[in-house]
Amino acid sequence: MAAMLETDGLVAGYEPGLPIVRGASIRVEPQEIVVILGPNGAGKSSLIKAIAGLVPISGGAVRLAGVEITRVPAHRMVQAGLAFVPQTENVFPLLSVQDNLRVSAGGLPRADTAARIEEMFALFPDLARQRRLMAGSLSGGQRQMLAAARALIVRPRVLMLDEPSAGLSPRFVEMVFARLAEIRRGGVTVVLVEQNARAALAIGDRAYVLVEGRVAHEAPAATLWDDPVVAELYLGQRSDGGR
Amino acid sequence: MALQFLLNGLIEGSMIGLGAIGVTLTYAILRFSNFAHGDFMAWGAYSTLMLVGLIGSAVGTVAPIGPLSFGWPLILAGLGGMVFTGCLALLLDWLLFARLRARGQAIVVVMASFGASMALRNLLEFAFTSSPTYFSRKIQIARPIGLGIRITPDQTVLLGMTLVLVVGMHLLMTYSRTGREMKAVSQNPALARVVGIDLDRIVRMTWLIGGALASAAGLMVGVLVQIRPLMGLDMLLPMFAAAILGGIGSVPGAVLGGLVIGLSQAASVQLVGAEWRQAVAFVILVAVLLVRPTGLFGVQER
Amino acid sequence: MIDLLGYAAFFLSTALIFAIITLGLNLQWGQTGLFNVGVAGFVAIGAYTSALLTTPETAGRLGGFGLPILAGWVAAMAVTALVAGITGYVTLRLKADYLAISTFGVAVVTQLVALNARGLTGGPFGVAFIPRPFGALADRPALFNFTSCGVVLAVTVLTYLALEHLTRSPWGRVLRALREDERAAVSLGKSARSYRIQAFAVGGAVMGLAGAVQAHLIGFIAPDNYVPTLTFQVWAMLMAGGSGSNRGAVAGALVVWAVWVGAGALSAALVPQAFQARAAALQIVVIGVMLCVILLWRPQGFFGPRRRRTPGGG
Repeated sequence: MAAMLETDGLVAGYEPGLPIVRGASIRVEPQEIVVILGPNGAGKSSLIKAIAGLVPISGGAVRLAGVEITRVPAHRMVQAGLAFVPQTENVFPLLSVQDNLRVSAGGLPRADTAARIEEMFALFPDLARQRRLMAGSLSGGQRQMLAAARALIVRPRVLMLDEPSAGLSPRFVEMVFARLAEIRRGGVTVVLVEQNARAALAIGDRAYVLVEGRVAHEAPAATLWDDPVVAELYLGQRSDGGR
Repeated sequence: MALQFLLNGLIEGSMIGLGAIGVTLTYAILRFSNFAHGDFMAWGAYSTLMLVGLIGSAVGTVAPIGPLSFGWPLILAGLGGMVFTGCLALLLDWLLFARLRARGQAIVVVMASFGASMALRNLLEFAFTSSPTYFSRKIQIARPIGLGIRITPDQTVLLGMTLVLVVGMHLLMTYSRTGREMKAVSQNPALARVVGIDLDRIVRMTWLIGGALASAAGLMVGVLVQIRPLMGLDMLLPMFAAAILGGIGSVPGAVLGGLVIGLSQAASVQLVGAEWRQAVAFVILVAVLLVRPTGLFGVQER
Repeated sequence: MIDLLGYAAFFLSTALIFAIITLGLNLQWGQTGLFNVGVAGFVAIGAYTSALLTTPETAGRLGGFGLPILAGWVAAMAVTALVAGITGYVTLRLKADYLAISTFGVAVVTQLVALNARGLTGGPFGVAFIPRPFGALADRPALFNFTSCGVVLAVTVLTYLALEHLTRSPWGRVLRALREDERAAVSLGKSARSYRIQAFAVGGAVMGLAGAVQAHLIGFIAPDNYVPTLTFQVWAMLMAGGSGSNRGAVAGALVVWAVWVGAGALSAALVPQAFQARAAALQIVVIGVMLCVILLWRPQGFFGPRRRRTPGGG
């Protein structure tokens, strides 16, 4: 059976001849939560941004449920079934919460949109109370919720998040990860780039460790923490990278 | 006489405001100030003039509507001119701006728009010479509407046109999917792509709308004042001032900014003379940049 | 023969004045990345300042102080630098486009003042009887043209050397760092803005000097000399020559002016009198298209340093 999401020797970077991702191959099975770890500058963010079509790809391939999406432009990824939540600036600050959802639901049939927005508000009741507020006035945690709701509204098959816990208070971090586990139970495959390795591994199934743009190690999330190879590759950097 | 300047200012402000909508949208979505926008206005006026001539040669002379100076051919030609100018803007983007934008140096795009403006304006001078022409040479009788203000039928109808266009634009920006997507792109183009907005489509819409509204403004100047190749260049500074005063990206802001500038210009005519009009726009521009560079409805730029 | 040489000298003088303006623009745009759409305005301010100070007293117009030419030139530079500095002060903390729009406004308002403030600028008729250097030779046109050309050449060379010196100085290095690397600009913080204002003011002063020199070369100025076409010619010169290089600026000015004059002469010879105005318009269209083509396909210009201005990202 084909993987839900798969990259095959992916090479990508902003400037030609200076790849940040240098031949990364990962494989994500349906309904898995996969965590991508690695020291600073390893190309974790660039990897998922390249998958999302935001960083130019110069080699290798990306497949979503067996269909190649390597050269699909970023704005068509949603239709392909792939949603992405950037780390920062992931909501439109001058649109209301409701309009943030509406503008993200462009791919849905018109009749479906209103119902789907209500479903999102049911999933994130915090947001429902703020629906007419400008997204820019939300707290950091609420913004992450809105960003996730915005990504989920189109019923993606794969949800990719870039450091969803960055800058959040511990209480919110816990909430975000609990919500991600819930989302996976709803049938969505989740790919997560995280600095907060402990929290991410607690909900993850498997993890990849990226070093210098390549996959250096792959292991089940539960055992990764005790893996000596990983300790050497990555956890040595924990003092500055792992928080 | 004393209050007549209010009406004159309203009309001048409408012309400026219609043009400023295009300036503000181009700036917010494509992130550059388009120095060729004034020339879209002039091209709109001349293309409308050509279409009126074309219709005239096809169906013969058409009687004006009621007390107006023009008949249905001008209305039809005006719509045609809006389409033509929108397409001209699209063409210019495809030939020039899009290619330079892809290289990522915003200010080079501004420079290119300056070069394009020169070329467009002088193409008009080449084709039509620099002497002014008119849609109609009929003198219209201004009727009193109270408070000592007089208004001609043409002015009434064109103010109505402005109102319809402005309200239409506001509804489009607030309630349509395209409008929401335009706002989203202006706030964060990268995120807009992530949520599935087709940037190319939004860019095309921006040019079409900007070009069409510039053409409508050109029609208004053409009917109420005159048609000259330089008509757009003369409006450029007031349009920029209006867009910045209103707050970049805000459609109501651009219109309100246009009205403020139009009224100030009309008021200043009584004090310093009509020839200093554009200096009034400049003074307001500098004041806004000094006191509140984000404009009336603007927000801090990221 | 001597007439032809005299004409060549006159041509060269005009071209060199353009070269000086282009050098000023090169400091603003080429070295510092500041966009000026009001070049014509700054040139006009210099020209009018010097003219008002050096002309003999005239009825119905302010000025006519009969000062020496050099005093006029220095004042022209000072006033233009002041106007450019204020423009920079107002806009340089804001987005780059606001500087462009404001300089455009300066040019428009300067044009309005030149046209309408009769008591100051003589209105549409301009200012006449501006003293010319070596004016005593005026009745021997060829010799006069040569000496004038010599004066302009001297000013050009001095400006060129001064700007080369500035470019190589620590001050110039800071400007280039500001243009190339936004992080440097951020780390310099407030003083980055101050450096940019200085560069814009100095560039404006050079334009003002060029305007003054031209006014004294022709002996007569009028608002028509300072229309947007002038701004546009200077930009075409800088872009053709390759922005960033002073040598390129001078070369671009000479070549584009030669093309301009050549095209004008050609159309004057070939196009019937009735269509002269149209031909002139077409001339500008061609230069406009040329500017766009250079921006598209040869952003480094024809004489400029062979480097890519933009990293090929995005």
